[in-house]
Amino acid sequence: MELKELIISLCSMLSVSGYEYRSFERLRSLVGDSFDEIEQDGVGNILLIRRCEKQSPAKVLIDTHFDEIGMIVTGISEGGFVSVAPIGGIDSAILPSSDVTIYGKRDIRGVLSSVPPHLRRDSDSKKLSEISELFIDTGYPKEELLELISIGTPVGFAPVYTELLNRSICGKSFDNKACTAAAIFALSDIPKSELAADVYLLLSAHEESVRTGGVAPAAFGIDPDYAMVIDVNLAAVPDVPKSETVEYGKGISISVSAITDRRLTKMTEELCRDNEIGFYRVAAPSSTGTNAAALCLVGRGVPTVDVGLPLKSMHTYNETISLDDAEALSALVRHFVCSEKIKEAFVV
Amino acid sequence: MYNTLKTLCMIPSVSGREDAIRNKISEIITPLCDECYTDSLGNLIALKKGSAAEPKKIMLCAHMDEIGFIVTYIEEKGFVRIAPIGGIDPVAAASSEVVSERGVRGVIVCESSVKTADIANDKLIIDIGAKSKKDAERRVKIGDFFVVRPSLTRLTSSRVCGRPLDDRIGCAVMIKLAQSFEKAPPKHDIYFVFSAQEEVGCRGAKTAAYAISPDYAIVYDVTGTGDTLGAKPMECALGKGAAIKIKDNSVICHAETVAELARIAKEKNIAHQFEVLTYGGTDTSSIQMSGLGCRATALSIPTRYIHSGVEMLDLGDAAACVELSTAFIESLA
Repeated sequence: MELKELIISLCSMLSVSGYEYRSFERLRSLVGDSFDEIEQDGVGNILLIRRCEKQSPAKVLIDTHFDEIGMIVTGISEGGFVSVAPIGGIDSAILPSSDVTIYGKRDIRGVLSSVPPHLRRDSDSKKLSEISELFIDTGYPKEELLELISIGTPVGFAPVYTELLNRSICGKSFDNKACTAAAIFALSDIPKSELAADVYLLLSAHEESVRTGGVAPAAFGIDPDYAMVIDVNLAAVPDVPKSETVEYGKGISISVSAITDRRLTKMTEELCRDNEIGFYRVAAPSSTGTNAAALCLVGRGVPTVDVGLPLKSMHTYNETISLDDAEALSALVRHFVCSEKIKEAFVV
Repeated sequence: MYNTLKTLCMIPSVSGREDAIRNKISEIITPLCDECYTDSLGNLIALKKGSAAEPKKIMLCAHMDEIGFIVTYIEEKGFVRIAPIGGIDPVAAASSEVVSERGVRGVIVCESSVKTADIANDKLIIDIGAKSKKDAERRVKIGDFFVVRPSLTRLTSSRVCGRPLDDRIGCAVMIKLAQSFEKAPPKHDIYFVFSAQEEVGCRGAKTAAYAISPDYAIVYDVTGTGDTLGAKPMECALGKGAAIKIKDNSVICHAETVAELARIAKEKNIAHQFEVLTYGGTDTSSIQMSGLGCRATALSIPTRYIHSGVEMLDLGDAAACVELSTAFIESLA
């Protein structure tokens, strides 16, 4: 499977925080035999493991959170209208009239309500609706809907993907499953003999929804020697300050932060240079805004490098990434897990 | 359950000072369990061993601490300055009777110059009736804890109000469960955790869950409702049964276990409802992510006016929590 197809397959799956498990079987059949082991824990984390051929192997952890933002059903009313609460950082500005899927006993398409401009009073026109004031219109009779969904049923943006020019694609949930796809793509066909360590690819749960996500308990169980956290990063667009964004289409970002490991970060940069992988540094002063901050403090501490995939329109249904950047990320993951030099430096 | 609840409510125990309530619960729970101990954070942990050959570990948890105040300074005139411990609502607290851990009585008032709309925690002081600073210092020390005076009133046969129902009702549910296991021993190992310091960041439950490393966890705590005048829309009401938590602002519960609890409640005809709380947090969050993590859920007792002196709930909902827990534990292979 091509990287683009893998990204779209993964991003189309339901993985609203807390409901990642509902895609476990689909994921398993997609990944097939490329990994030696596939596990799921009580938190909702999914772990894909590739074993190397070495005696008492080192352990490298690659973390890409697998959950996505979304909504859950809070009520069902007459006429097939469904009220919802947000899961994760949903921007209510983009919700009215968006297409969604309610993941009930079967998938139900719906559209979020919006007040037409004709009916808006002047005083309301600039006011955003709270998510609690919006309803999903399903067109179903209430009785039928009650058979198919209940309070707590997850809701996600409709999986629609569009290819733009210059190898850009847009759609929902590239945050962060485009990174998951790039990592799976990299790891699935590396010959065993080239792996520097046993590789634990963690598809962590609950990153979008709670303060400390699933990465901490999963990493506690793995006890890795060193780790890479991969998440999307805010890419530059004309109306946001350059100082707070990363460049798009030129490779990946590598964070320099007080909490991440300085030596591992430097060695990752060298790895990029040696293999002609586009990258640039971003400063993430005292924390990273990603799983890296929590991972660094797990157990006896995990030396971690924080890597980002540039993404435009984050947390919308038209998140946009460059396939060039995704390929650069995939190449970095491949070189990272095969690097004897990095392994030697971090195995005591 | 009312009598147990009354006993528990009458023992003030602010976060970090849980000794008094812990001693009382220990006295009740020890004869009902196989082991009972206090850990270094002050959690009380009681184990009732299961009869299965390979029992699962199930952690049941309710917090035994309550919100309150700590003395920070004593003014020249003998007024006592305080800071909140946990989520104090200053409007609800103002003009209440209070009692200290040493049994000193007083009243919480707001500084006289403050308008009603400006009432805030840093404007609250305690008047213990002291004649001077020296007089006050004889009865109150810096670091002493105060609570709004406990009370419990039976409004109807099933509805009660008072404080601190948050979360002595959860403790009462767990005691009731322990009593029921006397007659019908559980298949699985049941760890009853009466946790410390929930109100200041869900702390005790975290270390308790690490030590126990459970397969499943159920937390019993109060939750907000949508059934009061002017409430935010929420499908949770007094008297409609055990509230199976789907999420609050700190956690998304293990969805497969949530579905299982709902299935069992429906099958056994146990009154239940669902809770989607868009604010607030519970021990469920720290238990879920502690150590290796676990399948964490919560059965909430819908409660009006949480963190005031007149918290109100329906004992029928608490009874439904007991019934649903028993059925769930029984159903686990």
